[in-house]
Amino acid sequence: MYAAFRGELFKVVRRPGIWVLVGLFLGLAILIGYAITYLIYTFPPAGSNQGLPPGTTLSDFKVALYPENVVKQTLSQWGVLGGVFALIVGVLVQGSEYGWGTIKTLYTQRYGRLTMLFGKIAAMFVVVLVIVIGLFAVDAASSWIVALLDGKTSSFPAADVFLKAIGAALLIFSFWAVFGFGLATVFRQSALAIGLGLAYALVIELLIFGLLAGLGGGIVKSIQQWFPIANSSYLSAAFGQVRLRGVQGQPAPYADATHAVVMLLLYVIAFTTLSAWLTRTRDVTS
Amino acid sequence: MIDTSVRRPPAASLRGDKVVETHGLSKVYGKTITAVDRLDLAVYRGEVYGFLGPNGAGKTTTIRMLLGLINPTSGSASVMGAAPGTPASLIKVGAIVETPAFYPYMSGHDNLRLLAIYCGVPMTRVDETLQLVELTPRAKHKFSTYSLGMKQRLGIAAALLKEPDLLILDEPTNGLDPQGMADVRNLIIELGKGQRTVLISSHLLSEVELMCTRVGVIKKGKIVAEGTIDELRGAATLTVRGTPADLAQTVLVRDVGPENVTALGDGSFSLKVDAQRTAEINQHLVQAGVAVTELHMDERSLEDIFMELTGTEGGL
Repeated sequence: MYAAFRGELFKVVRRPGIWVLVGLFLGLAILIGYAITYLIYTFPPAGSNQGLPPGTTLSDFKVALYPENVVKQTLSQWGVLGGVFALIVGVLVQGSEYGWGTIKTLYTQRYGRLTMLFGKIAAMFVVVLVIVIGLFAVDAASSWIVALLDGKTSSFPAADVFLKAIGAALLIFSFWAVFGFGLATVFRQSALAIGLGLAYALVIELLIFGLLAGLGGGIVKSIQQWFPIANSSYLSAAFGQVRLRGVQGQPAPYADATHAVVMLLLYVIAFTTLSAWLTRTRDVTS
Repeated sequence: MIDTSVRRPPAASLRGDKVVETHGLSKVYGKTITAVDRLDLAVYRGEVYGFLGPNGAGKTTTIRMLLGLINPTSGSASVMGAAPGTPASLIKVGAIVETPAFYPYMSGHDNLRLLAIYCGVPMTRVDETLQLVELTPRAKHKFSTYSLGMKQRLGIAAALLKEPDLLILDEPTNGLDPQGMADVRNLIIELGKGQRTVLISSHLLSEVELMCTRVGVIKKGKIVAEGTIDELRGAATLTVRGTPADLAQTVLVRDVGPENVTALGDGSFSLKVDAQRTAEINQHLVQAGVAVTELHMDERSLEDIFMELTGTEGGL
């Protein structure tokens, strides 16, 4: 399988589309997560303090941008939304093979289909790891710059917290990547897989449970705990929330981190198994 | 690779072991579309085997089954002694299936390097094969900028990369200009020498005629004829016209036997006879006092045979 993995790495390293996507994501992490937020908090528009708790201003929220909160800030911002980019990576890695017809080239070289598939999934996880490490790296750098600009002294969380957070983000993003990979395998193309994947990530689960919440929160939450976005949220929330003066914190997550890790792992295994089964049994007709 | 005055290699006098073998191989799509119908095929080591058939006859479906890309509905196949699509089979097989497919964002060179990684062959093979198909000057350019002919050449280079014992080429001259076709034809003949086996599907009959030692004709998923080109052609006929006709007939019957002479009317006769006897027959006719006005050998072309067998002009 090592040759298959090496071959897939050879491809992704040379594929501009993957790195444009990664660059875009990291750019957005800096821009949305820190640069724009910092500007708004530093130069608040007139009347922006209305609706805030008494005695607080927008600049009080800047604490969320400081190094001490980088893990919480990163996971709360990108725990779900960042998954969308991982989903696109997963779709691109697999779906393009069908689009270009290279799937037949791939499966007529040396190894069986499953070996090639697992080599590809392993290479995809490397890209996901690069995204996750890149995300924490740019967020850490951004938070350090913000503290520097504000002349504040703030220290980064301990290394083990960082490592756990990277592990959590890796699991969340891996789910999304494998989900995209599975969709591309099912539909044997990229366009439909990306469309459906984005629809699920941004609309379906959130919308359905949002609407159902009106019927009875307890029952809905007990069902929702088995779905991937909910578990991504539980896992992100397990790292705590940024404490803002005068602002009431979010309620504790419905399920704990262990539940979230198990569920996300099961989803990773399920979509990997689905892709493997389809790859092994289905005809290659493109 | 430039000499265009090629002739097909002689048929192997002794058949080696079977490198491709199918028994009752069938592929049915849905419940009604039978793409390949109980196909029994045998390709022997060292052959250049031509797989002929009109569009939609089942050539590509068969090739896909031989490479393990699609699963047969029933029947069995063995390629290089192993089940199609298994590592034991794939490592010995180089293939082009329809249009060669590569990664458009990588150069031809990088595409071959990638395949070399997959196949575990030394990187030196990449430059060798690129040189063989005369793609070296464009090797560092992106695949997406290649012409159809260059893509086809890269496909052949990829098929040769692992120095396979068996080459399976599906329409390898598609998209090539006449010079390119001649180059590929010569290359295939070269490759087919020795112990390497080539299975080539094509609808270009003249190509197959020049390259192949044995041919199988497929129609609606079934092999309708198989043999060497000469076997498929059958005996050549000699047409003779002479006057007086009755004297000519007497001489011809005496020379080749009544069962081999057919009167065509108008003083013409068709003779089933070895081409080497043409001069001798002419001499006998003249010595007997027959004025010979026409004398020529008629050899059926592969195109005639193909149209007879398939009832179509196919891709001609």
